[in-house]
Amino acid sequence: MAELTAFHFHPGASLLHTLDVRFKILSFVLISISSLKAYPLSLSILTLVIFYAILISYLPFKSILKELRYFFVLLVFIFIARAIFTPESPVADLKQSVVAWQGIYSGALVCWRLLLVVLLGLIFVSTTKPSDIRIAVEWFLTPFPFIPGKRVATMMSLIMRFVPLILDQARETVDAQRSRGVENRKNPVYRLIKLIIPLMIRTFEKADKLAVAMEARCYSEKRTNKALSSNRSDWITLFGIICLSILLVNN
Amino acid sequence: MNIIEVTNLSHRFPDGTIGIEDITLSIREGEFIVIAGRNGSGKTTFLRHLNGLLLPDTGAVRLAGVPVSRDIPRARQMVGMVFQDADSQIVGETVFDDVAFGPENLCLNECEVKRRVIKSLKAVGLIDIADQRPHLLSGGEKRRLAVAGILAMESRVLVFDEPFSDLDYPGVRQILHQALSLHKAGHTILIATHDLEKVIAHADRLLIMSDGKVIMDNAPEVIIKDVEAFGVREPCASRLGMEIESWLN
Repeated sequence: MAELTAFHFHPGASLLHTLDVRFKILSFVLISISSLKAYPLSLSILTLVIFYAILISYLPFKSILKELRYFFVLLVFIFIARAIFTPESPVADLKQSVVAWQGIYSGALVCWRLLLVVLLGLIFVSTTKPSDIRIAVEWFLTPFPFIPGKRVATMMSLIMRFVPLILDQARETVDAQRSRGVENRKNPVYRLIKLIIPLMIRTFEKADKLAVAMEARCYSEKRTNKALSSNRSDWITLFGIICLSILLVNN
Repeated sequence: MNIIEVTNLSHRFPDGTIGIEDITLSIREGEFIVIAGRNGSGKTTFLRHLNGLLLPDTGAVRLAGVPVSRDIPRARQMVGMVFQDADSQIVGETVFDDVAFGPENLCLNECEVKRRVIKSLKAVGLIDIADQRPHLLSGGEKRRLAVAGILAMESRVLVFDEPFSDLDYPGVRQILHQALSLHKAGHTILIATHDLEKVIAHADRLLIMSDGKVIMDNAPEVIIKDVEAFGVREPCASRLGMEIESWLN
């Protein structure tokens, strides 16, 4: 479970590290949406752009690949499912299903797009301080009168902070139960309940302690926030991203 | 000068159990006090009244002459608290962000927040890992981070609730060293523990709590022989009739 560590901030001073977080979020959203409409030629261009971004950000490429291994398993499942359930010109007849060229092509395309979106997300998270993401979320929510932007942003940052703790807690609970022979119980529902209830209790207790600790440090919604500022390189990057998105969609 | 004055302080929990009962004492600025007692003796409940996390049913706490209940934000800024479970106290996604949390809540400007964070991280020796995720720190480092978070609020009184629990020997020494340097720098230090062995050599004063009351309040050498009656182990050296040595030696 601790393998989720790929998605965290890697300190650095590259161009991507210094871009304004609001522009990075906009760019991420634009490319992600337009990549859903992209086909092999434009996906190849996008792939090159993403690898270049990883290169200039000095992100640990090998460890990223290693930590994404479970995601690759998911991609394999998606590929197989698409290959089997796209009913055109079969190339292989399995016992109850057929595999079509069209299915292989469509499966590969979907997997390629998903992989690129995940890599984009990874680059974004790896080059952006979580506190900056919080401030940007707050900034984007400010125009909406009925959404408490500050509260949403704080909750979001606390979730990011506490996910590793909850995963650690889950692992500890699983180990404690395994050492008391829970594996002898074959009913998965029983085992799940025995895991979830203590985990929930511990998580709520931690949340309670966290609330007290935040109170002790004078937490309120009226607090200092880092000022966000954009410069020429942010606008140039955004212009480049818009051009790339148009290219992806019109391919 | 008394920085904390507690008069007839009592607190009862909603289920009717007594948390603390009729505590009256005063604490001079710059004192180093150890509060000891068995689990459930009321140490944490007492400490939480000092910065308004809990409010009394009867009695009052005054900080430099001002009742806590009159100005709770001031009390929280003045009395910084390091909790037993450091993991639950750390709210930032990076070491730097966590230390900045308190000053940001005090609505200080960005430059001042940064200045305080850097100063506090230097004071606890964590400046080189300012961008590290707190989750990856060792137990001792997490406690030091919690201390830095309090230092950045420029609290005059530092309260440590069971600071040595779950720490290995180097971790205990780190925290002890930190507390002593802060004391030397003029802070008032209160440490709640049930394990006197690690810290009593440095205390000016020892409070023993039992069933929500302060049973003994005196210099450690005067009462150390009597603590076992209240569920606190007498330090080994004292049992052997020797002088109690610091864990830093």
